[in-house]
Amino acid sequence: MDFTFTDEQQMLRDSVSGFLTKNYDFDQRNEIVRSDTGWSRDIWRQFAELGLLGLPFPENQGGFGGGATETVAIAEPFGAHLLAEPYIACISLGGAAVAAAGNSDWLEKVMNGDAIAAFAYEEGRGTADPIQVTMQATPTDEGFILTGEKRMVLAGGEADILVVAAELDDELGLFLVDPSADGLSVTSYPTMDGRRAANIRFEAVLANSIMEKPGEAIRTLLDNAILAICAESVGAMGALMKQTAEYAGTRKQFGVSIGSFQVVAHRMADMKIAYNKARATLLYSAALIEAGEATQKDIAILKGQTGKLGREIGEAAIQTHGGVGMTDELSVSHYHKRILANDALLGSSEYHLRKVGTLS
Amino acid sequence: MDIDFGSKLEDFRAEVGAFLDEAPTPAIREAGRKLTSVFAPFEQCMEWHQILHKKGWAAPSWPKEYGGTGWSVEQRYIFAEEYRKRDLPPLLPQSLGMVGPLLIDLGTEEQKEKYLPGILGGLDFWAQGYSEPNSGSDLASLSCRADADGDDYIINGSKIWTTYAHHANRMFMLVRTDNSGKKQQGITFLLLDRVDYEGMEIRPIVGLDGSPEQCEVFFDNVRVPQSGRVGEENDGWTVAKHLLKHERGGSAASPTLKRGLERVREAAKSTPSGFGSMMVDDPVFQRDMGELEADIASYEHFEKLAVSGHPMANDPSFPSMNKTMNSELVQRVSVMITRVTGTEAIPFQNEALRVGANVEPLGTDLDLVAMPYYLNSRATTIYAGSNEVQRDLIARTVGREG
Ligand SMILES: Cc1cc2nc3c(=O)[nH]c(=O)nc-3n(C[C@H](O)[C@H](O)[C@H](O)COP(=O)(O)OP(=O)(O)OC[C@H]3O[C@@H](n4cnc5c(N)ncnc54)[C@H](O)[C@@H]3O)c2cc1C
Repeated sequence: MDFTFTDEQQMLRDSVSGFLTKNYDFDQRNEIVRSDTGWSRDIWRQFAELGLLGLPFPENQGGFGGGATETVAIAEPFGAHLLAEPYIACISLGGAAVAAAGNSDWLEKVMNGDAIAAFAYEEGRGTADPIQVTMQATPTDEGFILTGEKRMVLAGGEADILVVAAELDDELGLFLVDPSADGLSVTSYPTMDGRRAANIRFEAVLANSIMEKPGEAIRTLLDNAILAICAESVGAMGALMKQTAEYAGTRKQFGVSIGSFQVVAHRMADMKIAYNKARATLLYSAALIEAGEATQKDIAILKGQTGKLGREIGEAAIQTHGGVGMTDELSVSHYHKRILANDALLGSSEYHLRKVGTLS
Repeated sequence: MDIDFGSKLEDFRAEVGAFLDEAPTPAIREAGRKLTSVFAPFEQCMEWHQILHKKGWAAPSWPKEYGGTGWSVEQRYIFAEEYRKRDLPPLLPQSLGMVGPLLIDLGTEEQKEKYLPGILGGLDFWAQGYSEPNSGSDLASLSCRADADGDDYIINGSKIWTTYAHHANRMFMLVRTDNSGKKQQGITFLLLDRVDYEGMEIRPIVGLDGSPEQCEVFFDNVRVPQSGRVGEENDGWTVAKHLLKHERGGSAASPTLKRGLERVREAAKSTPSGFGSMMVDDPVFQRDMGELEADIASYEHFEKLAVSGHPMANDPSFPSMNKTMNSELVQRVSVMITRVTGTEAIPFQNEALRVGANVEPLGTDLDLVAMPYYLNSRATTIYAGSNEVQRDLIARTVGREG
């Protein structure tokens, strides 16, 4: 057993961290988030140059064949820097969907940074499992027709191509939809954690089927996306812990640092325990996924624990900061918001923890 | 023991209900539905305050001779219940709940005459200028200075976290007038009859929910009259401690908590649990709701015992226990709201949240307020004395009861 990064994986992680430290500090990040587009095409282009956009895709599809560990190696730094660019949206979800369907045209554009692919899956209030998708695809002579609504489609507003999950003959299929297609209406908005998403209404929209009878492919795609999401949250948790420890050591009240009050010190200890639990589960789950041994229960444990422990850490960080923890100016609340948004995506911790208990 | 609220009170409930159904304007109702903080949207809140004042109902807990309603504790509780049921915006606590009662107790006749009508009538809003960048929990270490000069004081320094200072036209504050003794001894309590004195600057702070609620207030040689002092010079700590009693308890908070749960339950009827039923029928959700509801019930019982004059309320740590319980329940209710709204709480919808906005919310009213309310509620365990500090106070009294 070995759950450490290889030298190459460590180098990858360091290079992403180094790049973000240089180009993506909190002020730079906020400027990007406040811009009209909400994320930076320039950063995206540099991600393409660094090979990050092709990282998780198989080599025979032109990617770099990165596995679960590579995903963790880059997504933790993403979380630590509160990335606004749609990596999870366009690579872990949209790109992974076109890759799974073997659509090399779109995949190539995605890997080059020339196209944004978004995955239209969520239907509101947490579509935690593929069997909860209700949108129907109806076959016609011209192609398939989709009607219904997808919500919280990450990067849905700026997508060049939508990959839509819809039911066909009681199985989930994947469909390509041109965002300018007739019958489509897109309402985009910023999310509270500094990303962009959209609600998308489909009124008899014409779609191309790219994957029918996908078997386990969609679940695998979602499992990998959950890993990326959780790694991002754990990266945010690490940043929160570090920042809170620094603050507790320097903030003085009653003539001493607040970290010297036992209740504050113990809360810091609990944050550290929570962080180590979450990171252990993250690394272990990555190894399971890479070995092809992750069960649905393992994935539910990962998502459930990350959401729960992340909330604990975020709330503890704000409380320890007192009034300044309540401001937009400090990054503390932004990390907490990212953790909360990630918790809500693809099934909340409440859902997944219960699921853990239902699986033997 | 007597749990009877009295049969006459059903008439009273009906009278209150009828007024609350008819008096608020649509904008006031909207402000109540869009509430994401204990501090309601300012403009509608003050308008509502003035309407309630015309009816004579702005300050139920004030003594009758100062404009209170003269209601019994039961009537006050019923009023709070009917109020919350309708999601009406609560009146701001700083004027009516803090500086008003303080002036009634400790103000000079001149101060009462000058200020109480504006406070009661909702014409003035008073900001509370206590905390400073380096003096939060350790408030007594405050350093914003006031030097006597003729009939005036000259103030230098700054305040922070001053809620709604950007809306205020008056301010009550603590200043340092002496450095020679214990830190508590050199503090003076001042009333500022305006906040646009030369040398005064107010800068809003954007909160984690994206809205400005607190402010920084800077004082650069600001000259204010000494007639604004409450109590003696250097005796401001005693005055502030007296006011804290009003800040930390004595109101009816459980109806707000109960209303929050009711909204969650309503939303849970149409939210799938992911396990085959709607959340409201899901046993796990029911267990979690049950636990929270039971805790809120115990808090309500505690609160009702207190208003009935039960000796439990004489415990020196009563205000601290009350503040700790209420703040933590507020947070738990807010978490429950985000749980039932799920991904629908993730869009950032500050524009739709504004009263009178032209923007349609993406989902329900509850979806709209869920996340900002949750985020804003993180403050309840920080302000008015953090819960850590409250627990220290409570711990000191353990073993001394009865
Ligand atoms: C939303 C909001 C509204 C506010 N409104 C006003 C207002 O209108 N007017 C005003 O004057 N102030 C206001 N405040 C300020 C508030 O009173 C202070 O935030 C509070 O006193 C805590 O001070 P601090 O923020 O400096 O935190 P700190 O005192 O620095 O505390 C940081 C952390 O250390 C802990 N800590 C500190 N001392 C101890 C101790 N002895 N033992 C154990 N733990 C300790 C605290 O509990 C907290 O977790 C407001 C604050 C907020 C968040």
